[in-house]
Amino acid sequence: MTAGASVAPMRPAVDLRAGRQRGRGPDEESREWLSALRGTGARRDEAVAGLHALLLRAARFEVARRRATLGHLRGDDFDDIAMQSADDALVAVLAKLDGYRGESRFTTWAYKFALLEAAVKLRRRAWQAREVPLEPEGWDLLAGRGSSPHADAEGGELLGAVRRGIAEQLTPHQREVLVAVTLNDVPIDVLAERLNTTRGALYKTLHDARQRLRAHLDSEGLSVSREETG
Amino acid sequence: MNERDDRRLLRGMLGPDGPELTCEQCFEELDRYVELELAGADADATIPGMSAHLEGCPACREDHASLRDLVASGDDPTPA
Repeated sequence: MTAGASVAPMRPAVDLRAGRQRGRGPDEESREWLSALRGTGARRDEAVAGLHALLLRAARFEVARRRATLGHLRGDDFDDIAMQSADDALVAVLAKLDGYRGESRFTTWAYKFALLEAAVKLRRRAWQAREVPLEPEGWDLLAGRGSSPHADAEGGELLGAVRRGIAEQLTPHQREVLVAVTLNDVPIDVLAERLNTTRGALYKTLHDARQRLRAHLDSEGLSVSREETG
Repeated sequence: MNERDDRRLLRGMLGPDGPELTCEQCFEELDRYVELELAGADADATIPGMSAHLEGCPACREDHASLRDLVASGDDPTPA
């Protein structure tokens, strides 16, 4: 298989609609949220304020989880990030209200927007002043693997084949993304921002790179099971 | 550097074995998946490809853990 060969596109395992509980609809509390947010006047204003408070709670929850990894930030910085995340999530939730399918509680559905906004902002702040290591650093790290006294012969052979696969089978962009995300632990959101693309697009690249590596290992007679890597 | 590190490295590089959702599909399904998990239902059977994606995508894995822990903490407000 060459670097220019095509791989199967990433796709869901099955039609996601098949597994949904048909006719379930939102619970009473969720219907109250929807009704109030779609309403007018003071009732809607109160609901929007309540939603913002809910989103702020979620954003603060995420900030608290990651605070220890962001020692260079001050308390005010964390408050600002939480508030900005809640503000951005409020805009997103109100814009996507018709996309809520009632398959979870409304609050659970809304929380994920605030958590995502906060997580992305915090990952980016954590890497704000750091250079994103791409190929050389990760490449050296991998080159040193598999030759240690701890590595058994089979593991060393596998790592050697992976090294060759990365060098020979991946496109430069696939190699860059794979090395940054899986060897150098660069958050995919951070990499997406630096490369001016999206998390989803980069994950597709990563997925395709992994598929090529697996195909390469197959071609060398090295099958990789969950047990071998897990 | 030891065998466990090497296996972790290989797992990260090779990703999950089998079909998986995209990041966009993962986000779309995340709330339902978490509630199924917390209800003790078979979330992986209901939403195939989700657990594989969470295994392969560190960012979505973190987002999943955060939502699961936040919802598990309870105490949701209701609208005024």
